[in-house]
Amino acid sequence: MESFSFTTPAKKSVAKRAHIGVVGSGDLEILLEPGTSGTTIFNVRTASEGFKETWRAVFKRFTVHHDIDAIITINDFGATPGVVSLRLAQAVEISNQTKK
Amino acid sequence: MKTSFIELKGRERAQALLDINTFEEILDPFERIESPHLPAQGIVPESDDGVVIARGTISGQPAVILSIEGSFQGGGIGEVSGSKIAGSLEYVLKDIQNGKKIIPVIIFDTGGVRLQEANYGLLCISEIQSAIVALKRHVPVIGLIPGNVGCFGGMSITAALCSTLIITETARFGLNGPEVIEQEAGIEELNSRDRRLIWDTIGGRSRFETGLVDQLVEDDIPAFKKAIIKAVTEPDTISRTRQIEHYLSLISQIDLSVKNTKTDFIELNKKKKTEVKAVLENKPVEGKGRTWFTILTEGASSISEYPSLLVADTQFEGKLTRFIAVVPNEANRFPRARHGEVGLLEGWAIAKYVRQAIDEDAHKADKRNIVAIIDVPSQAYGYHEELFGIHYACAAGVDAYASARISGHSVTGFIVGNAISGAFLTHGMQASRLVALNDPSINIQAMSKESAARITKRTIAELEKATQKVPAMAYDVASFNALGPLDALVTITDTTHPDSVDIQKVSAALGKAIHKADDTLNQRLETPNAINQGRAYSRLVRTKIGEQWN
Repeated sequence: MESFSFTTPAKKSVAKRAHIGVVGSGDLEILLEPGTSGTTIFNVRTASEGFKETWRAVFKRFTVHHDIDAIITINDFGATPGVVSLRLAQAVEISNQTKK
Repeated sequence: MKTSFIELKGRERAQALLDINTFEEILDPFERIESPHLPAQGIVPESDDGVVIARGTISGQPAVILSIEGSFQGGGIGEVSGSKIAGSLEYVLKDIQNGKKIIPVIIFDTGGVRLQEANYGLLCISEIQSAIVALKRHVPVIGLIPGNVGCFGGMSITAALCSTLIITETARFGLNGPEVIEQEAGIEELNSRDRRLIWDTIGGRSRFETGLVDQLVEDDIPAFKKAIIKAVTEPDTISRTRQIEHYLSLISQIDLSVKNTKTDFIELNKKKKTEVKAVLENKPVEGKGRTWFTILTEGASSISEYPSLLVADTQFEGKLTRFIAVVPNEANRFPRARHGEVGLLEGWAIAKYVRQAIDEDAHKADKRNIVAIIDVPSQAYGYHEELFGIHYACAAGVDAYASARISGHSVTGFIVGNAISGAFLTHGMQASRLVALNDPSINIQAMSKESAARITKRTIAELEKATQKVPAMAYDVASFNALGPLDALVTITDTTHPDSVDIQKVSAALGKAIHKADDTLNQRLETPNAINQGRAYSRLVRTKIGEQWN
């Protein structure tokens, strides 16, 4: 297991928290919570070691599209960058839904 | 068009069963009550530890659903996930005793004990089982085995305790997985790649046809809902784990010279109850179980009709006490149960003699004490064991011990030798108090070292290294004691040939434990070792559930 964090400045607030995914083979779990620090904080724990730069690239791409003040916690069990991006997008979608 | 239930994740399954907009989760992922033991071993945890506690209504009736996530660590039960289930069931019981109406539903998708948390898994599973036995006296406890992982290990015994079991054709349900049996008993016993044979043995349809589960449903959400309602409105009158005579008669009539199939099982189910007695062995095999049985009963002869189970009533520390020990029998009809394992016969026989004590003392104010003398190397790993539902034999034993405890008998376990896995769950873990000999040769574990290493994909050296950080994975009795389940750890000079001082010491400790025993397993969470560190998360989970429950 490897753990690391990334922080990027961000402005937009999110409506509510969101949870998606499971820590199962090739998948990951994301917990997205509204932040107050004016940044997007990514806290990652991953079963696949040595891919920190790949994560950085995925998050960079994500923050270009989603400028959100949020804390994003990730528990990963070997998801591919494609799956990670998809799950992140799903988390944002849920967090922006107005209904509880 | 059908809407698949199996394809859903654990949380979605709970949502799908509950009436729309009634889903409410207790200890949701944002509470972050995750396993502390997985990251310590370099394994990524999940924020809900793989169990969803959901409340809501089913057809307007209040329900609590405990859904196990099979994709996370194979649905393995660890300290947090196990305590989430046990703790919730304990709160459901309180509510029901206070006059509330609640339907408890458990969705099983689990391989059993999470091997990285080993003894925590065993302890928690015994606590879940205790809660189910207590609960089903008041309300049907409904179990679902939809499939993907299926339901195995200690949790198959748990499922077997449910009032009603609902299964699909794509689920497998048995105590020992086919791979484990092949590993333990060889490919001649069972070829784990023979898919047809496996499905005919432990597949959902086979389990339904042989009468081990109540309802076979299609993989369709409405079908599951309908099945649950049926289980509530038409509850079964006699629990399977109470049909002791039927199953003892049935297994005595199995022709073990041939490889039986489910068709033989179906035929045997129809036969009259006539128990064929096995020939008694002549030469008792020595062992710690027999030694301590003889000492504590002062040589009383066993009243059991089965050579592998010793049972005697004797005056002990001033009160009538029934001692029960599972011992080796080289002449056991079942070859996989000749070395003291808990097999089909032993599980049902334990149930018979514990129930006998309950029935005989039913109207007495002063009920006899019950002591399980524990020296069990494992459950029996075999093809016939799986076919004829060894998990039900184990569940019958669990149900009997737990029922004895709940109906007012003092139930105590005395660990004199090994206490492994399903055998320990069946014979000992439902005791309100546990006493152990402080003997370094004793192993207390969820699985043998070799199998655990293979299944968690580690070398034995790696496994042993991991056990240093996590006492729950260690095999020795001192590590087990560190978790808090023992009332006393007794140090004597010789555990196999004890002298009179040793015996006095043991009798005193055992007498004390017997005297303190109550009708629950709660004391395990209240010992100094449990409070300090041993069961910190089991306690935390229960506290947190309590905060959110009302």
